[in-house]
Amino acid sequence: MLTFAFRKVLTLVGTMIGIAALTFVITNVAPGDPARLVAGPNATEDMVATIRTEYGLDKSLAEQFVVYMGDLAHGDLGTSIITTRPVLEEVLRYAPATLELVFVAMGLGIVIGVPLGMLSAVYKDGPLDQVTRIFSISGVALPAFWFGILLQLLFSVDLGWLPVSGRLPLVTRPPEALTGLLLVDSLLAGQFSTFWVSFQHIILPAIVLSFPCLASILRVNRAEMIEVLQSDYIVAARAHGISSFRIVALYALKNALLPTLAMIGLRFGWMLGSTVLVETVFDWPGIGLYAVSSALSSDFKPVVGVTLMIGFFFIVANTLVDLAYAWIDPRLRKA
Amino acid sequence: MSLLDIKDYRLDIDTFDGPVHVLKGINLSINRGDTLGIVGESGSGKTVLVRSVLGIGPRNARVIEGGISFDGQNITNLSEKEWAKIRGIRISMIFQDPMTYLNPLFSIGRQISDVIAAHEKAAGHGVSPKAARRTRTEELLDQVGLPNPAMLFSQYPHQLSGGMRQRVLIAMALAGKPDILIADEPTTALDVTVQAQVLDLINSLVEKLNLTVIMISHDIGAIATVARRCAVMYKGEIVEQGLTRDILSNPQHDYTKRLLSAVPDIDAAPERVAARPAASEPAKSRFLLEAVDLKKVYRSQSGEDFTAVNSLSLSVRTGEIFGVVGESGSGKSTLARMLLRLIDPTSGDVIFDGQNISGLSEKALRAMRRHMQFVFQNPHSALNGRHTIGDAIGEPLRLQTKMGRREIEARIEALLDIVQLPRLFKYRYPHELSGGQKQRVCIARAIALNPRLLVLDEPTSALDISVQAQVLEFLQQLRAEMNLTYVFISHNLAVIRQICDRTIVMKHGEIVEQGETEQIFLHPRENYTRTLIESGRKTSQAADL
Repeated sequence: MLTFAFRKVLTLVGTMIGIAALTFVITNVAPGDPARLVAGPNATEDMVATIRTEYGLDKSLAEQFVVYMGDLAHGDLGTSIITTRPVLEEVLRYAPATLELVFVAMGLGIVIGVPLGMLSAVYKDGPLDQVTRIFSISGVALPAFWFGILLQLLFSVDLGWLPVSGRLPLVTRPPEALTGLLLVDSLLAGQFSTFWVSFQHIILPAIVLSFPCLASILRVNRAEMIEVLQSDYIVAARAHGISSFRIVALYALKNALLPTLAMIGLRFGWMLGSTVLVETVFDWPGIGLYAVSSALSSDFKPVVGVTLMIGFFFIVANTLVDLAYAWIDPRLRKA
Repeated sequence: MSLLDIKDYRLDIDTFDGPVHVLKGINLSINRGDTLGIVGESGSGKTVLVRSVLGIGPRNARVIEGGISFDGQNITNLSEKEWAKIRGIRISMIFQDPMTYLNPLFSIGRQISDVIAAHEKAAGHGVSPKAARRTRTEELLDQVGLPNPAMLFSQYPHQLSGGMRQRVLIAMALAGKPDILIADEPTTALDVTVQAQVLDLINSLVEKLNLTVIMISHDIGAIATVARRCAVMYKGEIVEQGLTRDILSNPQHDYTKRLLSAVPDIDAAPERVAARPAASEPAKSRFLLEAVDLKKVYRSQSGEDFTAVNSLSLSVRTGEIFGVVGESGSGKSTLARMLLRLIDPTSGDVIFDGQNISGLSEKALRAMRRHMQFVFQNPHSALNGRHTIGDAIGEPLRLQTKMGRREIEARIEALLDIVQLPRLFKYRYPHELSGGQKQRVCIARAIALNPRLLVLDEPTSALDISVQAQVLEFLQQLRAEMNLTYVFISHNLAVIRQICDRTIVMKHGEIVEQGETEQIFLHPRENYTRTLIESGRKTSQAADL
């Protein structure tokens, strides 16, 4: 199990290097001269040249790549043109908000998707199954920005139950940042009213973000459960007198969880990408919103930084999924 | 009063095309301490019948008439709650394939102690502590003759051999100290030597625990070893029942007679269907296929090497049926695949018709493939369920020849004629065919390009005995008609004896013994061969006649 974990971590490092190389290529094939962009529209040729030297843009691509990778290894993601602050610092400042949103959304997806999928399989073709089918098809089909706006109109504007956007009202003092996750920090600091307010803020964006993910977890888990419930060892468990509840909720579910886990890992990456849309709609101060506003002002270092960050989280999530696989399935442990 | 009474039991299964009458008025009674065998081919309804006794029949099944009573209680339409008091406790069951009937994600100990806990819960008194259940589990494992129960407790199914898994399943079935043990083809998926051990175990348990056993099997030999009484099922009816001895020696019903005559007899010298084809073709070499020093080493991810086939050499004469016999894990299938280079050997050469195919390029190998074809063990999985039979048979023609549509259609029909299937079958899909018909389709596909060599990997072991007899006979005819050479792989010694000219016996990837088949059966030189033949004989029905 330990060597397995070690190998997974090695793969993680390798993939990170791959992503870094890819983002380098993408930024270099993007049109426009970065030096001229940085220098601004009124700069003279001399100024552009100075900037070019300063940023190392006069060197060959290979050299630039080596420098770029070297910087990355030191955790240097460059400097934002607009805010003139290190990109890494900014990304780290915005990341917790995004992670909090993704965790809550993923939590919703798993907590609702897995049991609903399980029940749909047990009562296959029954009324519940039909309802969840419609539910999951619309989950995948509805565009996030449209669905988000719809929810805002209904729950915030018309009913006035929930805040329209943001993470906390301006008047609320955020708790001391330990994890950066407001829900956790406020509980740790004992500020229960802050917890409640931040919870109200996160509900709508989390629902919008989790809806498609919930739908696909539900469908995958349903399909797997149907198959597992027909397998021989389930028949055997019934014949040996194990109760139906235990068979479904333990014996079958554990087997059905394996493909569901893979789906969760994939959906995690997809979710991180979708935060760009959802955070914009809900004005959620995370890395998605940061990436969008940077891109709109042609500030590309932050965009690259966010891409790397999302890539990193995605790989970490999938490494965890792989480890969970081995934890669940004894057959994989030796491999 | 009998322990189990089945009276006029009629059962339908609702399907898309309306109800199917699966059981048509079954009458059967079993006394305490009885051992009853139920024989019948697949689709005869025997599995549905015994599963009804446990209330785990198919979901869309409907009891039309009659009922089942157990120990004076009518159990035809029990509620799940009432079943909980019987299932696994008073009536329990063991199954065909011990691999798929154990949950792969739970340890052996966990699975058995869960069963114990379920029984305690059903009995109404509380669940005993973990340690007590562990002790009981280890007792059970010991009872079924498994070594080192303490270690087994934390092991997982994939770490056990087939025979051990079957013992674990038996231990699980004994957990509730049942009155009746139902065994559904308990030996079908096991090797011959292991089969004999498992049957011995069942026999000893019957004596020790005063068990009542109902065993279903299509293997009459296995039934004869265990069951004192026997019922023959055919198309949802019991056509004959009585003492096993009587039925075997003096079958009354036509079907029973046919069934018995289809069983290959390990002790019968074969009468070959056709003599070797007259040497019409001037043979280029006396040997069509030679393997020199073949070796296959698999490396697991943990870096351990496993040698599946070790320095194996053999030569197959043109026109002969060359048998390969051995237990699972002996490297038979690896060898077969290497002979056709479906997998690449680690070292060694395969020479087909004087040409070394080990070094052939991908393209040259593909051209070569039309001369050598493979027939797989399980016809159900060897055919693509979404392709028609015509597509399946025509595929090699489309891939390897430049034949036009019409020509291919004509050839498909001709091939269906050869394998004695109706021409209209080309429009059908695999699920509309029986096992034997599917295997014929696979053979038709294999001979579509007029190959010279067929490698058959257990071509009949997934089929019923009566169907097996037909396929074997057909294969022999085909060889004579088409001038074929076979490499025939099987774990069934009786089948090997019936059709193979020469045979090799394999163990752990090496040849233990080789020679003329008759010679091997009459005068085996090696101990291993003798054990193999003895175990085969034990379950071969001939020995019990």
